[in-house]
Amino acid sequence: MPTETSRQSKRERLAARRAAEAAARERAERRRRTLLGGVIAGVVVLVVLVAVILVQMNRTATSPTAATPANTTDSVIVVGSSTAPVTVDLYEDFQCPNCKAFEAQSGSTLAQLIAAGTVQAHYHGMAFLDTSANDKYSTRALNAAAAVVANGGPSAFQSFHDLLFANQPPETGSGLTDAQLVQYANQAGATGPAVEQAIKSLKYDDWVKNATDQASKDGVTGTPTVFVDGQKLADMSAAGLSAAVSTAAAG
Amino acid sequence: MREDPSRPGDLIVDEGPGQIPPGALVVAPSAITADSRPLVRIAAEHRGVRWRTVSPWLATAGRLVLGAVFVVAGALKVPDPAAAVRAVRAYQLLPEPLVATVAFGMPVIEIAIGLALVVGVFVRTAAIASAVLLVVFIAAVSSAWARGLQIDCGCFGNGGQVAAGQTAYPAEIIRDVALLLVALALARWPRSRLALGRPAHHLEEYSRAY
Repeated sequence: MPTETSRQSKRERLAARRAAEAAARERAERRRRTLLGGVIAGVVVLVVLVAVILVQMNRTATSPTAATPANTTDSVIVVGSSTAPVTVDLYEDFQCPNCKAFEAQSGSTLAQLIAAGTVQAHYHGMAFLDTSANDKYSTRALNAAAAVVANGGPSAFQSFHDLLFANQPPETGSGLTDAQLVQYANQAGATGPAVEQAIKSLKYDDWVKNATDQASKDGVTGTPTVFVDGQKLADMSAAGLSAAVSTAAAG
Repeated sequence: MREDPSRPGDLIVDEGPGQIPPGALVVAPSAITADSRPLVRIAAEHRGVRWRTVSPWLATAGRLVLGAVFVVAGALKVPDPAAAVRAVRAYQLLPEPLVATVAFGMPVIEIAIGLALVVGVFVRTAAIASAVLLVVFIAAVSSAWARGLQIDCGCFGNGGQVAAGQTAYPAEIIRDVALLLVALALARWPRSRLALGRPAHHLEEYSRAY
């Protein structure tokens, strides 16, 4: 025999149960939405990830038929006698101030060792100091060096290399212009329309990219890096270089 | 079990919605019944009320700092993919076929994590992912340091090149450890204000639940 109060409390219990069920449904719905959102976000990230990887691979790819400058071996410009007892590997960027400092203090010593037939120099170009301010000067300079060695040979390259370091533009500056590069190339002994055309069209752009990549594969993470018969040169002074070359020649 | 407090600092055992006078201590009923030393629990709960107000804002600050760092770090690596490859290769940890994929994919992951944190969606997942990445970064930088490599961490772009004697390993590791602490704190306490994925009413529900 239900009284008025017991009917009311039954109704209250029913209402409470309904509210609890509604809350549970809402929680389940929220969980479902979170899960769905997570799956969608995960798929989007995955798609973007794959797309970006493909785009970047395309951007860094170099053509297998890219122009390779004459008088180079792979990405190395060789200067000096092939019968020289000591090999010196130099990794330099034409925009790198420390390279300019190294060339200023030890460049002439190295030149004498090359001239004496003691050293064969292997120049590994690197171009990693490109900025929009210098209009990709690192790349343009190394491309110009490639044009010079291709048309003027190793001795023209040697002069051009010395000229560019002696006249290195400030690191935060605007870089040398293509016209200035052509002028230095002519001064170094590489003349003619082929040189000018190669400099202005960035003919050896892919070669420059490959050379830079190769330097990184060689484990070089800074410039200048110098190896004397494979031994990394710690003392970069002229005396340090001569001593290392003497040791290598004696060994 | 509701007392009518007349003075600030009086004790209320909150058993549901109702007017709570300012300055009253609010404790959960369980704090009284489940503990043999209720007064200790009451004091702790009182501190907890203030903490629950501050901590979501701290979490918001942590989200924004960590998220911004990840977005910036990722975005700076996108424009020069060749430099990104050199930076990864400079650690000499990965086999060559993996280097490019990691170099190109890492910025996407970093930006995704960073955006999730900044916007405030999947905060706990993003915080855990960032913590994992930071542990990897710390391990990689430490190993480069231990092996005597002369590299820049490449954390914010750059190709890993550094002039001799210009390495900054201790500073890089300290920065990453600080970020790792933020990431771990966010993974533990992901509830925050100004988050897209956790509307504010959830927070209020959360505090009311006590």
